[in-house]
Amino acid sequence: MTLHDLYEDIDRIDARLLALLNERMERAVLVRAFPDGAEDAARHDDESVERARRTALCLAGPEFAAGVYRGLADECGRLRASELRTVAFQGDHGAYSEMAARAWDAQAAAIPFREFVDVFDAVQDGIVDFGIVPVENTLGGLVGPVNSILVYADLRIVAAVDMPVAHCLLAPPGADHREIRVAYSHTQALAQCRRFLARNKLEGRTEFDTAGAARRLAEERPAGAAAIASRFAAELYGLDIIKEDIQDAENNRTRFFVLARAPAAEAGSKCSAVFFTEDKAGALFRVLELFARSGINLTRIESVPNVPGDYAIFLDFEGSDRDPRVAAAIEEAKASAREFRLLGCYTERRL
Amino acid sequence: MKDLKLTGSRPGAERTVIDIAGVRIGEGLVVIAGPCAVESEDQTVRTAVAVKEAGAKMLRGGAFKPRTSPYAFQGLGLKGLKILDKARRETGLPIVTEVIDTRDVSWVGEYADVLQIGARNMQNFSLLREAGKSGRPILLKRGMYSTLEEWLNCAEYILAEGNGQVILCERGIRTFETFTRNTLDLSMIPAVHSQSHLPIFVDPSHGTGILGMIEPMSLAAVAAGADGLEIEVHIDPSSALSDKDQQLRPEAFARLMRRLERQREFIEEMYAREES
Repeated sequence: MTLHDLYEDIDRIDARLLALLNERMERAVLVRAFPDGAEDAARHDDESVERARRTALCLAGPEFAAGVYRGLADECGRLRASELRTVAFQGDHGAYSEMAARAWDAQAAAIPFREFVDVFDAVQDGIVDFGIVPVENTLGGLVGPVNSILVYADLRIVAAVDMPVAHCLLAPPGADHREIRVAYSHTQALAQCRRFLARNKLEGRTEFDTAGAARRLAEERPAGAAAIASRFAAELYGLDIIKEDIQDAENNRTRFFVLARAPAAEAGSKCSAVFFTEDKAGALFRVLELFARSGINLTRIESVPNVPGDYAIFLDFEGSDRDPRVAAAIEEAKASAREFRLLGCYTERRL
Repeated sequence: MKDLKLTGSRPGAERTVIDIAGVRIGEGLVVIAGPCAVESEDQTVRTAVAVKEAGAKMLRGGAFKPRTSPYAFQGLGLKGLKILDKARRETGLPIVTEVIDTRDVSWVGEYADVLQIGARNMQNFSLLREAGKSGRPILLKRGMYSTLEEWLNCAEYILAEGNGQVILCERGIRTFETFTRNTLDLSMIPAVHSQSHLPIFVDPSHGTGILGMIEPMSLAAVAAGADGLEIEVHIDPSSALSDKDQQLRPEAFARLMRRLERQREFIEEMYAREES
C-alpha cells in the first residue's frame, strides 16, 4: 500500500458517502407524500441519531456518529418542511433524464427510479410531484416502453424538453484506454454509438441506465471496461473521459415529457393526444384530415402496437386547447376516433 | 518495380488526390506545421494559431513519441490527443499525429485526421495493416535505412487493406555524413512521381536537424516538385521538451512561407512562359 493508494481510496469512499447521503435524504423527503409522513419521519430520524450513538466502531465513536446523524436529520427535516418540488426520473444520478429535469426546473429535486413504470407509478401514487421520461430520440427512434405505458397511464403532460444528447466514453481514472474491451450503457445509448463501438472493436453490454453504468464502473472498476454516459455523469462519479461526442450522428436529440397528475396551469403552445381507430379503410386519414382542415400543424405522428392488429396513435400538434379552433378540432376528433384522449397542452423547451 | 499492384504508377492513370476536411493533397502545395510534441494546451493552441496565420493547412504534433532513449519524454498520450482536438476546434486545421502502437490506431483515428507512421515504424507490418484498416489517411515516412522499393512496398501494405489514402514523406536517410542529422534525399521526389501515383511530402526538420537548413531545403523540395512539406514549429523552441534545435520560431516559419509563395509564383511563370 502506498500513500497514493490511500488517497485514491479516500476519494472513492468520499464519492460514495456523498451519493449515499443524497440517497438517504431523497427517501427522507419522499415520506412527505404519506399521511402524517413528516412527523413520523422526524421520529424515525431521532431513532437514527440514537442508533448512531450506540455505535461500537473504533473511530466513528458514539458522540461523533450521533453528531453526524443529528446534522443529517435536521437537514432532512428542513427539506421536508420546504416547498421543494420532486421529479422522478428513470436511471441513476447523472442520467440524461436528470439533465432534462434540471433544464426544466433547476430548483426541483430529481429523484432516480429503476424502471420507467416506477416513474409513472410514483407520479400516479403521489409519491412525487412530477415525472420526466424520454419519448423519442433522433437516432434511436421511439423509446419503446415509455410510449406503451403512456397509452394507458392516467397522467397529463405538463411540459416537454428537447435536448441534445452528447455521449462520452468513460473509464475509471488512470485506466489504459488500450485495454478497454467492453462498454456498458443503456440500449438506446449503445444504439446511438454503434459505429463508434465497431470502429474501436468494443463490445456493447446493456445496463439499465447510462449513469447507472457509469456509477457501477466507478464503484467496481472492472478490468477492461468502460461506460457510455454524459459528461455530467463523468463529473459525478469521477471518471475519465476517453472520448467525447461518440454518437454516430451530430444531430442526436432526445425529447422528454414532464408528467403530472393534473394538467398544466398555463395554456402552452403544443398538445399531445393518443387515440385508436376503427379497423377500416381511411379511418386514420379521417382523424388527421380534421387537423389539416383546421390548419393545425402536426409535429409528430407515431403508432405503437397495442394488441395484435391494433395500434395506438400518438399525435403531437401545435396550439393550445384554450384556442377555440384547436378545441373544436379536438372535439371532432373525439367523435371520429376511438378513445381520443388529450394527454396535455404544454410549453416545449428546446435546448 | 515488381509487385506494386496498387502503389505503382500505371501509364495514363491519374495521380492520387486526397481530400482531408477540404484540404486537397496532391493538388498544389500543402504545408503541415506544428510542434514536435504536444506539451501543453497553451503551447499547442498558440503554435496552431501562429502556423495557421502563416499559411499552414494542417497541424502536426506528437502525442505518442518514439524516442531514442526510454527515459526521454514519451508524449502526453491520450491527453495529447485531446489537446490536438482542442487546437483543431480553435483553428479548423486538420490534425496529423503519429501512431506507434497497433492498439492505439483506432483511438488516434478518433481524434486525428491523418495518422502518421514514423520512420522507425515504416516496416512495422502489423501497424501498417492496422492503419490500413482504420480507413484514415496515412502519412508514411521513409525509414532511415530504406530503399524506395522497400518504402513503396510498405505503402502497398496499407493500400492492400483497401485504404488508398497514403501520403509518402521523405525525412532523410542515414549516410556516412554526420554533419547533418540525416541526409535529406530530395531525389526521391521525382523518383516517387515516376514510380507511384501517391503524393510525396518532404520533412526538412528531421531531414537536416539544423535550423538554418530548413528554409533552403524547403525551397529546394518545392522546386523539385514536392506535393507538400512537414515542418516543425514551436511557439518557444528554447523551452521545447524534444527536438529543441530543429523547431522553427513562428516568425521564421512565416518568412519561409512568404518565400515559398514567391518561389511558387516564379516557377509557375517559368513553366507558363515555356508553354507559350
